[in-house]
Amino acid sequence: MAEDYYPWGGEFTACSPNGCVAVVLLNIQYTPPESVAIYGRLKTENIGIEKIVANTISNPYIRFLVICGDDIRGHRSGSSLLALHKNGIDSNHRIIDAPGAIPYIENLKEDAIKRFQDQLNIVDLLGEKEKEKIDKIIADCTRKSSSSYGEPYIAIRIKPETTVSLTDKRALHSKIIIDYMGNVRKRGE
Amino acid sequence: MFSFTKEQKIFDISGISIGGQPGMYPTVLFGGVFFKGEPDFDDAKRHIQTILDISKQTGTPTIPDFFIRKVEYIQPIISFIEKVLPRKYPFSIDIIEPSIKVKTLERLAEEKLLSRTIYNSIHIGITKEEIEALQNNTPEMVIVVAFNPKNKSPDGKIEVLENGAHLTESGLLEIAHKLGIEKILVDTAALAPGENSGAAIAAIPVIKEEYGLPTGCAIHNVVEKSRWLNDFPLAKKTVDVASNNAIPLFGGNFAIFGPIENAELVIPLIAWQDILVSEYTENYFGVTPVASHPRRKLLK
Repeated sequence: MAEDYYPWGGEFTACSPNGCVAVVLLNIQYTPPESVAIYGRLKTENIGIEKIVANTISNPYIRFLVICGDDIRGHRSGSSLLALHKNGIDSNHRIIDAPGAIPYIENLKEDAIKRFQDQLNIVDLLGEKEKEKIDKIIADCTRKSSSSYGEPYIAIRIKPETTVSLTDKRALHSKIIIDYMGNVRKRGE
Repeated sequence: MFSFTKEQKIFDISGISIGGQPGMYPTVLFGGVFFKGEPDFDDAKRHIQTILDISKQTGTPTIPDFFIRKVEYIQPIISFIEKVLPRKYPFSIDIIEPSIKVKTLERLAEEKLLSRTIYNSIHIGITKEEIEALQNNTPEMVIVVAFNPKNKSPDGKIEVLENGAHLTESGLLEIAHKLGIEKILVDTAALAPGENSGAAIAAIPVIKEEYGLPTGCAIHNVVEKSRWLNDFPLAKKTVDVASNNAIPLFGGNFAIFGPIENAELVIPLIAWQDILVSEYTENYFGVTPVASHPRRKLLK
């Protein structure tokens, strides 16, 4: 089962498959203990957050999401992740009250976000960089570990619809035609 | 190596021209001036002298892209620009935080530097305050980033340019036009591997044929995010530098190549690529390179 977890990939390290803690590293030099399920860096307030949601809900044993380190300047990815857990997204797919520059969740269904909100307890250590403190909080979470949430949730990426089928296999893109010498023109003109 | 049916716009900023049919003008490079912690201006000064020298020698224009991440760095960086860059030389400012963007525009206006400023960048995260600031203090040129978090294909990129893809009230190009900015460079938004990274390159000819605007991207970001390359440090550097080649090869006009420290490697590489493109496009499409083109400068 463990090898089926974390289907969205990304810059993370998987440790104990049955661990109940996932750690999000912002601006911080820190390596979490091996007892955690997974840890990794968060950079962007859109695609980065989507990966965290998709990957954490794929492992039902993860019940705590520890977010530590200074927030990422401009992107405010840590605060935006907190806002997603607290508020969800609006009809425009924008994370409600997120302070980041482009805090849009476009590739996850609302069900996946709901699952994230239900499955994960957030441990807000934004601004915290002290190893001992974070280690202790992770140990506390591990001790009060609740049981598995249930079945893994494998989030499907919302794919843009393909609207054209091309017969010209050499085409680079549906909007243009490139002749064999490199002349580009709009398709259909 | 392409030639476009759509008329290709050429924009000038302080004597540097960007755009046009492939092979006409040299590819313009943007080298990032990043400061870790307190700005180290001695180091930056050395690198800027290097780009000025190599650009002069090769004909490949290189513009310093100043990354400003704290309010207290705005003034020192602007003073540095005034002191170290040749008078009238263009520069770009790369700022993430909207509040710092607003303050920087104000200061640039006060110092009368907006005619040399390339604003990096307008994207779907643009705020009302930022629009207001751009209205009051309008830079000469802007980079519009065609990032669409929902659809990373060339179609998705066009969608944000055209109508904002429901993320902004109108399309990013319309936003820029309403601000009175005509000199627009389109950045096709290179994303990490696994996020349709190739679309940033494929989108170049698509967007150029659609709008005729100067187009490029920061393709080196894809290399930075290719973690498996960390096992091959020598190759990683080579790939980082070489990735920029794809831009002129696909008809692009500018490359944001990452740290300015790489300029010594990237500038000659792009000059070489431009010569290759120009030889074909002149022979087949009759595109004559301008006098400053690397092909005219370096091949005697």
